[in-house]
Amino acid sequence: MEETKSNTTNPYLIPGAIILAGAFVAVALYVSGGSQTSVATAPAPTQPVAQAPQPTGSTDAVRAVDETDHIKGDLDAPIKIVEYSDFECPFCKRFHDTMNEVVADPANSDVAWVYRQFPLEQLHPVKAMAEAVASECAAELGGNDAFWQFADRFMELTPSNNRTDIETVIPQIVGEIGLDQTAFQTCFESGKYDDKIQADIDNAVATGGRGTPWSILIAPNGATFPINGAQPRAAVEQLIEIARNEQ
Amino acid sequence: MRFEVVTTVFRKPLYVFLATAVASAVFVFAVLLPNFRLLGAVFSSNTASLYEKTALVFSLLTSIGTNFTLLSASTVIVIAVLFGIQVSLLVYYIRRVRTGMKIAGTGASGLGGLVSGMFGIGCAACGTFILTSVLALFGASGLLAFLPFGGEEFGVIGLGLLSYSIYLLLKKIDSPLVCEIK
Repeated sequence: MEETKSNTTNPYLIPGAIILAGAFVAVALYVSGGSQTSVATAPAPTQPVAQAPQPTGSTDAVRAVDETDHIKGDLDAPIKIVEYSDFECPFCKRFHDTMNEVVADPANSDVAWVYRQFPLEQLHPVKAMAEAVASECAAELGGNDAFWQFADRFMELTPSNNRTDIETVIPQIVGEIGLDQTAFQTCFESGKYDDKIQADIDNAVATGGRGTPWSILIAPNGATFPINGAQPRAAVEQLIEIARNEQ
Repeated sequence: MRFEVVTTVFRKPLYVFLATAVASAVFVFAVLLPNFRLLGAVFSSNTASLYEKTALVFSLLTSIGTNFTLLSASTVIVIAVLFGIQVSLLVYYIRRVRTGMKIAGTGASGLGGLVSGMFGIGCAACGTFILTSVLALFGASGLLAFLPFGGEEFGVIGLGLLSYSIYLLLKKIDSPLVCEIK
């Protein structure tokens, strides 16, 4: 009688495999900075894939909020949530609803929501950028309120994931919010907001944004907290509560 | 026969507890992963109370419903459960056969299942954490855009590998511990 060959297999193989897998995960986490989940979504429209940013970046690099931003709430609010968003991202749509609920709550009158552009050309080619431009043109022609009317209605109407019929929806919304269609078209085709949008994208990447929605909560004392993805309202509210203590 | 092995192993509370603990750990890890930086910032804050910090962790766990697609959320949950089962079976098997184990195939597929599953624990805001990190190293993160499900395919592959690994473990546990006659 002889033992099968496999009976001599190293008994430490499976425990070793698990440890190896754990090490693999740890290395991957280290590489990813322990938090980044969506590098694929990050490269800016004008950046070639080969220049995809590495997962670094500090939320302290967030550009100061000023009157050129699209703000829901008070510019001088002690707590600001700066969101970098893509009109074609389904998670941005969810988070848009969440943020609308948060800032509509009178208990959060000390919170301002700032919308910045982060169109992900790789995932949503052409449309995401066009929609970002359209929203900027809405702001130019109708001010801050028109921007938010456009953004809210767009998020409400469109299916996301690059399935939006922009040639129908954008003129529809422009008409609904009472903007001059001719002036809008002129603005839309001018390319005048490309640099502004690119600056938003660059700032998103500089702060560590690798996907959308990417948000940064700025506390009263200037401390910053990254919010990655479409977090639920309870989490946002809890973070606001924590931020209120940061005086 | 394999089902009987499962009931034999999980009749013991220790293995139920182990599977539950491992599955919970994998689930929490996967769901909180996108916001490790946020948790780091909050937990290093001197002004937030322990209650507030803990409440934030629990509130972030509900992001399984907002920050994941239906496919990735399902994948995360099933991978967590399968991984818990796999670890429990593994511990049972190792305890039963402390020497001379015939488990080479199981080890390889278990590792493959774990790695593949981790690859595919799809996280929301459009990507998979390890895959995107690895691809980013090579400046090739845009490749994910060419996958029909943006990388979530790896989660499904992971499920298959984990299931296969569990099948192999059950088969090994079910085999009598004897020297075979050739």
